[in-house]
Amino acid sequence: MTKPLLEVRNLVKHFPVRGGGFSVVRQQVKAVDDVSFTLLPGQTLGLVGESGCGKSTLGRALLRLQEPNSGQIFFEGRDILQMNRAELKAQRRDMQIIFQDPFASLSPRRTVAQTVCEPLDVHGIGSPLERRKRVEELIELVGLRAAVLNRYPHEFSGGQRQRIGIARALALNPKLIVADEPVSALDVSVQSQVLNLINDLQRQLGVSFIFISHDLAVIQHISDVVAVMYLGRIVEQAAVSSLYTSPKHPYTQALLSAVPSPHPASGAKRIILPGDVPSPISPPSGCAFHPRCPAAQAKCQITEPQQTTLHNGGHQRHFACHYPLGD
Amino acid sequence: MLEVRDLAVEFDTEHGRVRAVNNVSFSVNAGEVVGLVGESGCGKTVTGLSLLGLVPSPPGKVVHGEILLDGDDLLKLDEAGMRRIRGSEVSMIFQEPMTALNPVLTVGYQMTEVLRLHKSLSQRQARHAAIDMLGIVGIPAPSKRIDEYPHEMSGGMRQRVMIAMALSCGPKLLIADEPTTALDVTTQAQVLDEIVRLQHQFEMAVILITHDLGVVAQTCQRALVMYCGELVEAAPINSLFASPLHPYTQGLIGSIPRIREHKIERLPVIEGMVPDIAALPDGCHFADRCNRVQADCHERSPVLTPSADAGAVACWHPLEPQHD
Amino acid sequence: MAAAPETIALVAAPPHQGLWSKAFHKFCRDRAGLVGLWVVVLYAIVALGVWLGLWASDWAEVTGPKWGPVSAEHWFGTNLIGQDIFARALYSTRTAFELGLVVAVLSTFVGAVLGAFAGFFSGGWIDELVLWFMGVIDSIPFYLLVAAIAFSLGDSPYAMYIAMIATFWVGTSRLVRGEVIKLKELEFVEAAHAIGLSEVAIIFRHILPNTFHILLVQATITFVAAIKSEVILSFLGIGIQDGMSWGLMIAESTIEVLAGFFNNFIAASLLMFGLVMAFNMFSDALQDALDPRSVR
Repeated sequence: MTKPLLEVRNLVKHFPVRGGGFSVVRQQVKAVDDVSFTLLPGQTLGLVGESGCGKSTLGRALLRLQEPNSGQIFFEGRDILQMNRAELKAQRRDMQIIFQDPFASLSPRRTVAQTVCEPLDVHGIGSPLERRKRVEELIELVGLRAAVLNRYPHEFSGGQRQRIGIARALALNPKLIVADEPVSALDVSVQSQVLNLINDLQRQLGVSFIFISHDLAVIQHISDVVAVMYLGRIVEQAAVSSLYTSPKHPYTQALLSAVPSPHPASGAKRIILPGDVPSPISPPSGCAFHPRCPAAQAKCQITEPQQTTLHNGGHQRHFACHYPLGD
Repeated sequence: MLEVRDLAVEFDTEHGRVRAVNNVSFSVNAGEVVGLVGESGCGKTVTGLSLLGLVPSPPGKVVHGEILLDGDDLLKLDEAGMRRIRGSEVSMIFQEPMTALNPVLTVGYQMTEVLRLHKSLSQRQARHAAIDMLGIVGIPAPSKRIDEYPHEMSGGMRQRVMIAMALSCGPKLLIADEPTTALDVTTQAQVLDEIVRLQHQFEMAVILITHDLGVVAQTCQRALVMYCGELVEAAPINSLFASPLHPYTQGLIGSIPRIREHKIERLPVIEGMVPDIAALPDGCHFADRCNRVQADCHERSPVLTPSADAGAVACWHPLEPQHD
Repeated sequence: MAAAPETIALVAAPPHQGLWSKAFHKFCRDRAGLVGLWVVVLYAIVALGVWLGLWASDWAEVTGPKWGPVSAEHWFGTNLIGQDIFARALYSTRTAFELGLVVAVLSTFVGAVLGAFAGFFSGGWIDELVLWFMGVIDSIPFYLLVAAIAFSLGDSPYAMYIAMIATFWVGTSRLVRGEVIKLKELEFVEAAHAIGLSEVAIIFRHILPNTFHILLVQATITFVAAIKSEVILSFLGIGIQDGMSWGLMIAESTIEVLAGFFNNFIAASLLMFGLVMAFNMFSDALQDALDPRSVR
């Protein structure tokens, strides 16, 4: 059994909602509500869900860009939530992030070279000459020419800026990269290029990815394991093929059927969920999904379902449902 | 019912005059759902806006063409004439429901405004009609919702309100510009379902502008593919997906990630990048990225020529049609 | 290992254009701004010349009769004591620039740093402290503040400078704070955190450089405000203490005007008006050119 790279246990992140006079804290938005999962080295975990499900917050909490309220995050066995500033800074060399918005993720007044070199500068890696070489290497690795190094972000297209962001994330040779919707803001024909790039880099460098997206097709393409989130909780987790062919949770099934497929003849019955994604401020009682669930019964309104774990042939799958779908 | 001939729209930019839409011709029959597909910058939104005379006029201008609605050229109408058409015969809904609805006015106010403008109803009559309409688009408890503000509603509901507003005067044609792009997948499914249902109920034609081929496949009967401001292919839905004729269409269909039976290693890719429309190359705009390119492709721009199944394609070397 | 198979050609668009050159080109298309710039440059050259001793060094000497008329020797005539008005007006240009530059640079710097820290830690104690300071300074009438500082510094020639800097930083600070509150939500700031940069480093390396367009415009506004304020301060006697300035000239001319002699007043006012107007035109055009929304 390979040792996990990342082990997350009972992670919680709440945001206070201020309201009323004197900005009294009225309620909590439970953005991430008791999340646990494991990630092996070289594996890609796809984190999928709709808006408000907490996937972006979870991604940032893993890197302590948002400080979790409670829980544990074990990276190669060490709990990063217990680290002090200096240890955390050193730890950051192993965990990096790629962002969704190619226009906001690069500082407009720094050249490409400065942006990609910055991680190396901050951690004092190599001599200036070595850093320059490394920057050139990285830029070519992501498919751009070294000639672009002195240009500014505004001179590039969205897809190219994402490549620059990827180069920056790779600079410190991290073991884990959190990719927060990295292709969602890109044009359709550029998406496939960047996805291929991420796949290639993952294979070449053996980096683990946590790939956050709302697009199920992209998730299927890029992930080894998939976790589906709803209102701050992981409702189902499985190897990608199992999840897509035989989902256990009704939400997963509805999500899969809602994706419009570019096959006009696919008369697959579409499950249309009633209502809207509820607000994370006051989630429904019992199972958070019960108001919209086609399979909901009386018990679902009262008790929160516990996580069930199945072992099929070396792969684990988890889901939290009182009445999971049959095989 | 709608016939567009040779439409051309130009914009004044800091790089000079740019043709956002060039030589676009197509028609839409009554009760038909047509998809206008392409990536950002291909001119599909500008085409949609020009149908309603909504192209922002200092930088943009319709420089050529005719837009015939039941025989009348909309481009020849003055502003007052256009205003009579907007909302009553042709309606439009937009991508961002939050910015398309006025955040400081209640939903009811905005809806009754449309009704009173075009149908000269009294305030009470308009309010009744609006409540009915909200019910028809699937908003629960419409008589309560009508007094809410846009920010009190979810994205999906706001989009339905926009649809309700657009349909309240029973238009012949609805132009929907990326109506579900800003919505969650499950909400998107709801709203698309709604649009299709309403389209049947009102027997209205719809032009659905989108970059999402999946959406097109599920809702449209015909599709028009645009690239760099021009129409490169038009075809009935089944033919388009089963046997695309233009290499761009084929590339687009292939490169979009979709849920498959088995995982594939690499996504097929369209090489290169969309060219800058301020500096388009001579000849076919797609030539630099095309895997079927030949010498003549760089010399002259291809012309839209009819193909089988009432379709059309603009390519010197189109793909062979595949028959099952 | 070879690069990813699809090595992409660059956007085939305008040739390499840094952010400043883009703004520069935009600026050059604004004729009013260009005129303003040239006039300001002209004044600057005059001021430089005075500072180098090339001309107007005889501004304090009695070179002509009392209230001499406009002549070839004295282009604006002479004042009550017989000093050449034109020379005095030229000398005042140097004073104006000295004052304007020092106050503009220092107050912009102070305002930028305080505003950036307040905005970055908005809601925290640093923000509260800075906002409190801004409130206090705003509530004290400017001229009272200058008088108070002059008094407490015992008529030091720096009193006016200090008072101006202490007041003018507030405007810049407010703008910077607002901008920083927006900037800190952008992903490149998160990226800097993710790399391990400390907050102070993020503020100076990433956030402040993205406010330069605001700072530059604010500096030009402060420059003009300093010159205009000096007029009243010198009039009240708490402005320039040694040397000559337009404000002092105007103060002198109050008596002269009553006696029907306007040259002194007109010379000072005209020259000051010219610089302020030109600077304003330049500043407006600069603001348009640097508007980051056009630099995308």
